Amino acid sequence: MVAMANAPAPIVVDRPDQDLDEFVANDTPWIVLVWNDPINLMSYVTFVLQKLFGYSLEKATILMMDVHHKGRAVVSNGTREKAELDVFRLHEHGLWATMQRDDA
Amino acid sequence: MGDDAARRRLTVARVPLPPVQRTATGFRMNLDTEERELIHRLLGELRSLLTESESVESGEPTVDGPVDDRMKRLFPTAYHQRRDQEMDDEFRRLMRDDLVASRLAGLDLLADVLAPHDDEPPHLTEAQLMAFLQAVNGVRLVLGTMLDVSEEHEIDDIDDDHPMVGEYHLYDFLSWVLDASVRAAMS
Repeated sequence: MVAMANAPAPIVVDRPDQDLDEFVANDTPWIVLVWNDPINLMSYVTFVLQKLFGYSLEKATILMMDVHHKGRAVVSNGTREKAELDVFRLHEHGLWATMQRDDA
Repeated sequence: MGDDAARRRLTVARVPLPPVQRTATGFRMNLDTEERELIHRLLGELRSLLTESESVESGEPTVDGPVDDRMKRLFPTAYHQRRDQEMDDEFRRLMRDDLVASRLAGLDLLADVLAPHDDEPPHLTEAQLMAFLQAVNGVRLVLGTMLDVSEEHEIDDIDDDHPMVGEYHLYDFLSWVLDASVRAAMS
């Protein structure tokens, strides 16, 4: 019988170097932006921000006015997965929402 | 963004009751039969647009941006930075069907509310009002894109012989209904 070597087998890390960038990027927080557009009503935007994120009327109104006057506002942040879900829910409601890494 | 309420307060005095009102058990739609039928028809057109795009999308292996320009605001970009283009392509590929399904489910919720029936004002649950807001806004996104409306859009600026004067009036009517419905939802 051939004795098996006692040394533990080397651990194979299933993460080639080229994935490292992505791995780090996934750890970066993301922000979700709502952009100004001529179609969505101010009242509707305020209401959607309250409904989707549980914001107070005051906070939702401030964000809506930022969108209106500054062209955009950050409405939420988090992991890439959370940001994608928030963007999807905003798109369901017809708002012009996008996401980007919070490293600007 | 448009502020339709301010504009309308000055020009519309035709309906004594708000078009949608909160009641003890939900919401009541005070729009007359003709107005409800109009919205019903428009939501049907939105459904056709969504289902047509669905079949075109699934039958077409290549994704070359929006199939129909009128739809571009219904399916916006998710990742706006150039470096994230691949992620945006993936997001669209994975989420577009879900977005269509979600919009169609909302329209399904409204089928009974707006379908022509007796003269009783329709009653809406909270979920139906939410679907109503999203659907009416969906039609506005299509119409507003077609008309290329600007933030300063005023219906009074549109001449009666403008080739799309009908669409402008529809857009304004839906803006009025939506704004009042949002106010009812927030009340």
